[in-house]
Amino acid sequence: MAIVATPARRRAGSRFRRRETWLFYAFVSPWIVGFVVFTAIPMIASLGLSFTDWDSFSTPRFIGFDNYLELFTEDPLFWPALGHTLYFAAVSVPLSLLIALFLANLLSRPMRGARFFRTVIYIPALVPLVASAMIFRWLLAPQTGPVNGFLALFGIEGPAWLLDEDWVIPAIILLSLWQVGAGTILLIAALQGVPPELYEAARIDGASRAQRFWRISVPLVTPILFFNLITGMIAAFQVFSQVYVLTDGTSGPSNASLMLVPYVYDNAFRYYHMGYASALAWVLFVIIMIFSVGVLRSSRGWVFYETEVRR
Amino acid sequence: MSAQARRAGGAATRYAILTVVSAVLLAPLVFMVSIALSSDQTTRESSFTFLPTEFEFGNFVTAFTSDLPIGRFLVNSTVIVVVSCIGMTFSSALVAYGFARLRAPGKGLMFAVLLSTMMIPAEVLLIPQFILFRNLGWIDTLLPIIVPNFFANAYNVFLMRQFITRIPGELDEAAMLDGLGHFGLFRKIIMPLMKPILVAVAIFTFTFNWGYFFGPLIYLNSEEKMPLALGIQVLSATSSGAQSPPWNLVMVGALILILPMVAVYHFGQKYLYEAGLVSGSAGLK
Repeated sequence: MAIVATPARRRAGSRFRRRETWLFYAFVSPWIVGFVVFTAIPMIASLGLSFTDWDSFSTPRFIGFDNYLELFTEDPLFWPALGHTLYFAAVSVPLSLLIALFLANLLSRPMRGARFFRTVIYIPALVPLVASAMIFRWLLAPQTGPVNGFLALFGIEGPAWLLDEDWVIPAIILLSLWQVGAGTILLIAALQGVPPELYEAARIDGASRAQRFWRISVPLVTPILFFNLITGMIAAFQVFSQVYVLTDGTSGPSNASLMLVPYVYDNAFRYYHMGYASALAWVLFVIIMIFSVGVLRSSRGWVFYETEVRR
Repeated sequence: MSAQARRAGGAATRYAILTVVSAVLLAPLVFMVSIALSSDQTTRESSFTFLPTEFEFGNFVTAFTSDLPIGRFLVNSTVIVVVSCIGMTFSSALVAYGFARLRAPGKGLMFAVLLSTMMIPAEVLLIPQFILFRNLGWIDTLLPIIVPNFFANAYNVFLMRQFITRIPGELDEAAMLDGLGHFGLFRKIIMPLMKPILVAVAIFTFTFNWGYFFGPLIYLNSEEKMPLALGIQVLSATSSGAQSPPWNLVMVGALILILPMVAVYHFGQKYLYEAGLVSGSAGLK
């Protein structure tokens, strides 16, 4: 059959095309509506609100950049909140990665009971944050908690953890390390995907076990490490539930565990400073973007994609 | 030392490390069970022991029969999770089909927008969304938590689209020749083939909503509306009342919060694997 684009046929084709377009938008409509109502409009509105003084009941009052100025120059709590968040992210994210890598390396080789250990390591990662934070409140109780009880066996007097300015953030970090299993599982799968010939070749060349680990395993799983790093970092910047539950809805002793999202929450829903809270949320957004772009940029130097070699 | 002896030594070290790590990771759960099984007397004195010394299995009944609304919390959590899972899987599947199988002007741009929404932190949208739901009169109802699930989610749409593009197009042509339109094709051919990814998205939706704390904290005020994750926190808040919280029953609630998570992953693992979301033999089996 010769395909000749007669005018009639072309018209039929465009009618078909139009129908397909119409159908596409029908199928996609749930997302379009959701995007407009729950994302696009709220995003514009919150940017607008960040330039106002608003208690959510009266009319918003436009105040220009005052919220941002106050935030950076006058607010006695913003910089501590940012500092605590960075402290938490800077310690918990790399430490989680290292522990996950260490455990995954132990578990990726065939061994009896591997399934049992994998399950045990993964279960804490399935525990909802509220439940895990609740049990850590008791684990870390200064007088009666098992953690300090265990330390006392070695003659160490444990800190007051959640009640101590210097130990409340380490306590939150400990909780995040307990849930290291999700990252571990991904890394086990990645390590098992490393071609065994590479290890064989390295062994013949006389590479030690440590060399094989750092020169073969680690480079080949950098894409997963990168994924864990970026998702872990974004989650760490947005830490909320565990802090709220651990400190019983406060910001810890003398605001020692005040973090950015809890501070947004306090401003919006405790003090009804909606404009100020919006400005805070935007600053948080920009901080997350800056760090994400930074990690993404750096990834070109350290993330190894196999396809690059084959090229 | 021979290579064999060294390897045996290595294996022993490996088992020793893994045993210690496992013990440390399980310890919090053991303590949780111990508190859940403690008597009211022990709870009042806060004299919990790490290993269970009391075995008040009656606490698991009392949690539901006392005037604490733990049963109510569980019902609310179940309603939220079931309705959200239905809404999320169907809406995301529809949208994913559109992106995977239909051509239209503006599609590329829309997909780019869809992907970029994954980067927006929830906090930026929080306040206007709160105002919207307040204006709709939805404060202190489950609607602000449930309804957004009916409008798909970028991450799930992305996963489903990837899955649909791997389904061979010959099926489409055969179905079209049989006179099925796109809706028929979607419903009768594609949806059944999508089962693993539908289950996977349902698992993710379950996981998120079952433990979701922030939304309920903001939108719900009355205890009888709260899901379990928020409810047990409210019961444990020392600021709320003069007497000390019923920690043993709170921990029963926390255990009930954990069990379905473990069960869902245990039984859902197979689908995550089929959907290509867990590579290799890793994961909980």
